[in-house]
Amino acid sequence: MNPLQMDASHAVESRLESNHTNHSRLSHGGQRLEPILKTENVWKIYRTGKVDVPALRGVDVEIMPGEFVSIMGPSGCGKSTMLHVMGGLAQATRGKVLLDGNDLTTMTDAARTVLRRHKVGFVFQRFNLLPTLDAYHNIALAQHIRADGFDPHRFEVVANLLGISGRLKHKPSEMSGGEQQRVAIARAIVSEPKIVLADEPTGNLDTKSSEAVLNLLASLNKDLGQTIVMITHNPEAAAYGHRVLHMRDGLVVDGATVH
Amino acid sequence: MISQNVLHRPLRTFITVLAVAVEVTLVIIVVGLTSGLMFESAKRTEGVGADIMVQPPSASIYMQFSGAPMPIAIAGKLSQLQYVQAVAPVLIQFNSVNGLEIVYGIDPETFRAVSGGFVFHDGHDLQNPNDILVDDVYAKSKKVKLGQTLHVLEHDFHVAGVVEHGKGARLFVLMPTLQEMSGAHDKASVFYIKNDRSDRTAAVVDEVRELLPRYEIRPLKDFISLMTSSTLPGLNAFINVMIGIAVAIGFLVIFLSMYTTIIERTREIGVLKSLGASKGYIVRIVMSETVLLCLAGVAGGIGLTYLMRAIFVRIFPTLTILITPGWIGRALVIAVGGGLLGASYPAWLASRKDPVEALSYE
Repeated sequence: MNPLQMDASHAVESRLESNHTNHSRLSHGGQRLEPILKTENVWKIYRTGKVDVPALRGVDVEIMPGEFVSIMGPSGCGKSTMLHVMGGLAQATRGKVLLDGNDLTTMTDAARTVLRRHKVGFVFQRFNLLPTLDAYHNIALAQHIRADGFDPHRFEVVANLLGISGRLKHKPSEMSGGEQQRVAIARAIVSEPKIVLADEPTGNLDTKSSEAVLNLLASLNKDLGQTIVMITHNPEAAAYGHRVLHMRDGLVVDGATVH
Repeated sequence: MISQNVLHRPLRTFITVLAVAVEVTLVIIVVGLTSGLMFESAKRTEGVGADIMVQPPSASIYMQFSGAPMPIAIAGKLSQLQYVQAVAPVLIQFNSVNGLEIVYGIDPETFRAVSGGFVFHDGHDLQNPNDILVDDVYAKSKKVKLGQTLHVLEHDFHVAGVVEHGKGARLFVLMPTLQEMSGAHDKASVFYIKNDRSDRTAAVVDEVRELLPRYEIRPLKDFISLMTSSTLPGLNAFINVMIGIAVAIGFLVIFLSMYTTIIERTREIGVLKSLGASKGYIVRIVMSETVLLCLAGVAGGIGLTYLMRAIFVRIFPTLTILITPGWIGRALVIAVGGGLLGASYPAWLASRKDPVEALSYE
């Protein structure tokens, strides 16, 4: 076992240990874990002028620790809205969103910000790296915001794992789309979030880069036990997940719970 | 990240820094010019060598701003006071042609008795009605030569001598000539008194007060310390208005610069919020960038101030611009304070952006 794999194993063990510590309801014998993320009858209604437009209409979803879940559905079905609500970027209008045991719907904006900082990593279709910073500082930014100190060991492990060690001094404009997305994934996981929410991470990539990014996400899930929820339009990409949720008209129509 | 952001738009950064630099320069130069004029004037008044100065009631210590003359006969009464060695009446006129200067109309004999006399670089004392003495600084700056005609106060004078600077004014003419020109016959603007011993100033002041109860009687020891903007009505207000204009420039430029920055970086703000950046964190970033811009502007402004002073002094050698560490410090506080005020709304706006809307901003 090489040092990187050892680090990965250690991370999985510590994560499981952490889950065990935080959730006394875990049962060892039956392997029944509490969901890391659970939504109960979640509604999200946007008001455009005088008209209420429901983007989510009573979504019930469970995501278990260590799962890789894909979400599919036509444009405008509420996939991105659901991801935003799950990650605390948007507040649900009704219902309950439990993230690692914390109910996001009863939290203040500031409290959701803190929770997001420590438990959620976002990956976006357009990478969303800060153009003024090089790859190194884009990744370190997440640790800086977390304000518990820069962890060079963790940084090195993540950079090696994502194969971007040689590109750290480059700015986003000097990198390919695939490289930028790998930096974005590194930024998402460097602070050891409980869950990574990826919004069409391969939407702006060519086939080869898409495959590389999907393999990377699969490997993070497999090797580090990283819980991942990924939105995609592509059935082949969705197949990388353990489970595929299908959404239509603001509802999850298939795959909402673990069987 | 702060420095990278600032350097990302070099032209905008340059213009913002330049605006702050102009703000700082304006503050330091305006204050330096007014206090320089006061300091120079006070130094020259002290340089007359008198112990006491007598002026009409309610006269300003800035003699160039006081036109009210007194009967010259007062000089005779003052001369008779105990301990008074000499009294020199002086009529003062303000010349605004070819620069701002005050002209002393003097009686050479009494002025010599009080001041100890001029040190001549060239020429001789005032003899004829159209004679004029110029000090060496004036002669050098205006390239005035002995014997030439000098047009002052709408009158052609003959340059009779060039004297060492520091005796009240830079230009001296005979008092009767100046009285004639200004229609102030038998009048004087100020009486300089020389005591027989300098430690008797207080006693002489009391005597003069008794003789001229409502007149302004000022010992000239430590006269420079009186020369502050607060002793001249309106000067403080003028300085404050100029500082206000400077602050407004800095405020508006920083406001505009940071506002456009925030609009341009909407998506980045969304990214920061998705990473868990708090409102305070985003405000700190905007404010830190502002402070960096302001500090660069202050540094540039200080450099620009010294450059401006060098240019001014080269063009107007008689001008004194006092640049003091105190006012450099105040200009720094004014620039940074105004900048932070200007950035506060954009920072607040940035911190309150909805992360989902910000992330979808094109």
